[in-house]
Amino acid sequence: MSLCRFLPTPSDRMGILWSLLCVEDSVIVEYGPAGTTHYSMSLFGELGIDQQNRLFSTHMSEDDVVMGDVSRLEKALIEIDENYAPKVIFVVASSVSAVIGSDLRGVCAYMQERVKARLIAFEQGGFRGDYSIGIKEAYHLLIDELARKDAPKKPNTYNILGMSAGVYRSASDLNEIKRLMREAFGMECGACLCLETDIGAIEACGGAEISLVLRDEALPAAKLLEKRCGVPMVAGAPYGYKGTLDWLNAIAEKLGRRVNPVLTGELQKRMGENMSYRMVGLMLKENLPNVTILGDYMTVKGLSGLMEELNFPVTHKICAHCLRAYSDPDAEIQYLPDEKDKINIMRGLDHALVLADDIAKTLIPANCTFMRVSSPLVDGAVIAKHMPIMGPRGADWILESVETYLQTLN
Amino acid sequence: MDRKKLLAQMMRLRDVDTIKDVKPLTAAMFPGTHCPLMGAAMAIRGIQDSMMVIIGTDECSYYTKHMTLHSEDYGGLCGRVVSVTLDSHDVTFGCVKKVEQAFAEIMQEYHPSAVFLVTTCVVEIIGDDFDAAAEGLGRRYGIPVMAVHTEHFKCENHMPGLERTMTACFSLMEKRPCNGSVNLLGQRMGNFESTELSRMLTDAGISIGLQLPCGCTVDEIKNAAAAKANIVVGDIALPLAQKMKQCFGIPYVFFDKFVSPDRIAACYRELFEALEIAPPAELQGLYEKAREEVIEAKPELEGVSFIYGNTPFRVFEFTRFMAEMGMNPLVVQTSAIRPEDREDIAAIVECSDPYVTKTANIAPMQFIYDELHPMLYLGHEYASRLRQKGIAMVHTDGAGSMLGFECTRLVTRALLMAAQEARDIRKGGDFL
Repeated sequence: MSLCRFLPTPSDRMGILWSLLCVEDSVIVEYGPAGTTHYSMSLFGELGIDQQNRLFSTHMSEDDVVMGDVSRLEKALIEIDENYAPKVIFVVASSVSAVIGSDLRGVCAYMQERVKARLIAFEQGGFRGDYSIGIKEAYHLLIDELARKDAPKKPNTYNILGMSAGVYRSASDLNEIKRLMREAFGMECGACLCLETDIGAIEACGGAEISLVLRDEALPAAKLLEKRCGVPMVAGAPYGYKGTLDWLNAIAEKLGRRVNPVLTGELQKRMGENMSYRMVGLMLKENLPNVTILGDYMTVKGLSGLMEELNFPVTHKICAHCLRAYSDPDAEIQYLPDEKDKINIMRGLDHALVLADDIAKTLIPANCTFMRVSSPLVDGAVIAKHMPIMGPRGADWILESVETYLQTLN
Repeated sequence: MDRKKLLAQMMRLRDVDTIKDVKPLTAAMFPGTHCPLMGAAMAIRGIQDSMMVIIGTDECSYYTKHMTLHSEDYGGLCGRVVSVTLDSHDVTFGCVKKVEQAFAEIMQEYHPSAVFLVTTCVVEIIGDDFDAAAEGLGRRYGIPVMAVHTEHFKCENHMPGLERTMTACFSLMEKRPCNGSVNLLGQRMGNFESTELSRMLTDAGISIGLQLPCGCTVDEIKNAAAAKANIVVGDIALPLAQKMKQCFGIPYVFFDKFVSPDRIAACYRELFEALEIAPPAELQGLYEKAREEVIEAKPELEGVSFIYGNTPFRVFEFTRFMAEMGMNPLVVQTSAIRPEDREDIAAIVECSDPYVTKTANIAPMQFIYDELHPMLYLGHEYASRLRQKGIAMVHTDGAGSMLGFECTRLVTRALLMAAQEARDIRKGGDFL
């Protein structure tokens, strides 16, 4: 696992940064060489994250590295506090400050007296694992540091824990979840960790009726919120028609309410319409349907469920990130740290439906059908916020690729 | 933000001796400077049959690869930028062995003519000896392998990455009999063939040898010592040119993207003297035309105030050119002050009194605009934001592929257009 030919898996630090940049009323100060901050702008821009007046670098000189001088950081904190007046300043370590062991928590502790903004340190410098570990730590630290125990109850609101800007079409997925929750229960979103949210919403998230935990990385944060504020949680993400209905029913059970029967009826109707796909395997003689899915764990698990609804076997379930944050991962979902293993699987596919990222697209044989369902994105850009992968709308879209795929089979 | 306090923090150019005297506007910067890793990637892009191996964090590797995804020169996603990423084990125990394993895979899959091992900040901190590793790998596989060190905490911006990559190429060069050609060293962007300088050389019957880093092969680097002279476009090529002069006796002419017609004329003179041939007759006409355009533009530009951010030109030479036209420099942003800049700085402070600060920190610069009210901003900014403040942006990126008097014409026209735009924006507005 030495050589990385394509894009490496984003690090814990990158996951932390794209999570925190989605929290309005806060500012991030990176303590490290400025080039990394400037370099990151292109990726964050591609993810649809605004960085103006939100992301700053202190830069670091050789003297700072050798002598451990943190005066630049101290000055930067005072300046940002005075000039931008954010509610929170996140102080994020760079790989350099992490390796030399800069005590950012210590700096935040003594600087807290000199600034109005709340200072929160993230000392991960990119060496504790991939983005899965980073977003887990971001979710937990945000709840731990910001969620108020005495937050007033806010009926008909829910929290989303486990949304991530790094996930392909996350803004569309968020809108799909909001639509489903509104139609199913008439509920509105409070805090969303971490996409399109703000400090006030996180502080008040203890008042919500329920937390929807989309991915296991957010479980520790959800448990903490449950313990601190008594907010119950439901784990899982709405993929496919049956998957969405099951997810809504689990929420209904936890809330002690019923899913709007109109929505239930619509989902059941779509499930019925798709029964014909279950017969496809019986009608084909040469190429039997086979699916390969690559993406974040929740995407792989969710879309595998959709394929099961269609009775299409999923031959490869590949997770894009490590599974350390998962206490009991599905044994069929593999994490392949060696890029070469992924390359071999993709190149070896035959007449497959491939739901994966743009790297996979360059590797698969021409007789496969590809649909992008996960990051990274190489070709084009994401603009729409109404084209999800999650929910019935996501399932409809995926079925269009399934139809294209079936036309390639004999 | 307290504008007066910000202004008070800045030094006047006349009081500055070295770059250490120049302070950033604030300690918290946005967007901050580019890093030398990016500079190395910019240089290796032009060396067509070489590979770039990034040795560093996932993040450094990710952003560099991301930058090259749509680069035809690099071959996109499946192209010739690869990486060896470090984990906590490598930080503790070193990463040379891991790189050696990866190198075997590179040789098997990519068959490169040369490889650049580009080390980043963390590698330099843990102290793995990649100069020795590169030498060993070169011997083992029989191809040139060069280590390029790109730690950002020891330098200001991306330029050292370009410079070190180019200088590393010296190890490829071999003694060759002179073939009368000229090498072009340091042209970073654009196509040299489309420049005025290229046309002048071609008209004079001079062939172009190595073009580093804007487009060459490893073999062309090996044969570079056959040239009669080197043209140095920018400071990044100076160390390589000096080495070539010392080792192969090849003279060099410093022919940067100057804008002053007299300076450009002097470069042409020096170049053709080094080549021992007469300059093309057309040059005199180009010089006179450029001078005329400057003289004609002067009344229109007199008194026009500006803040200098970042352009393809030399910061102090260009600022001097504008100051001598009667324009008013309010702030000059720079990341370096070189001995070659002294004369220009002296000329600037003779006719104006600008502030000086570090580049790549546009966030606090917004407050400076509100205090100093410049008419023009030279460099990359958000144009709509500037317009709201009555400032026009001067676009000079087109000069990336220009050398010679065409640079004078471009900047003169760009300044005239922007000055007119600033006047139009300010009509009826309260910007002062």
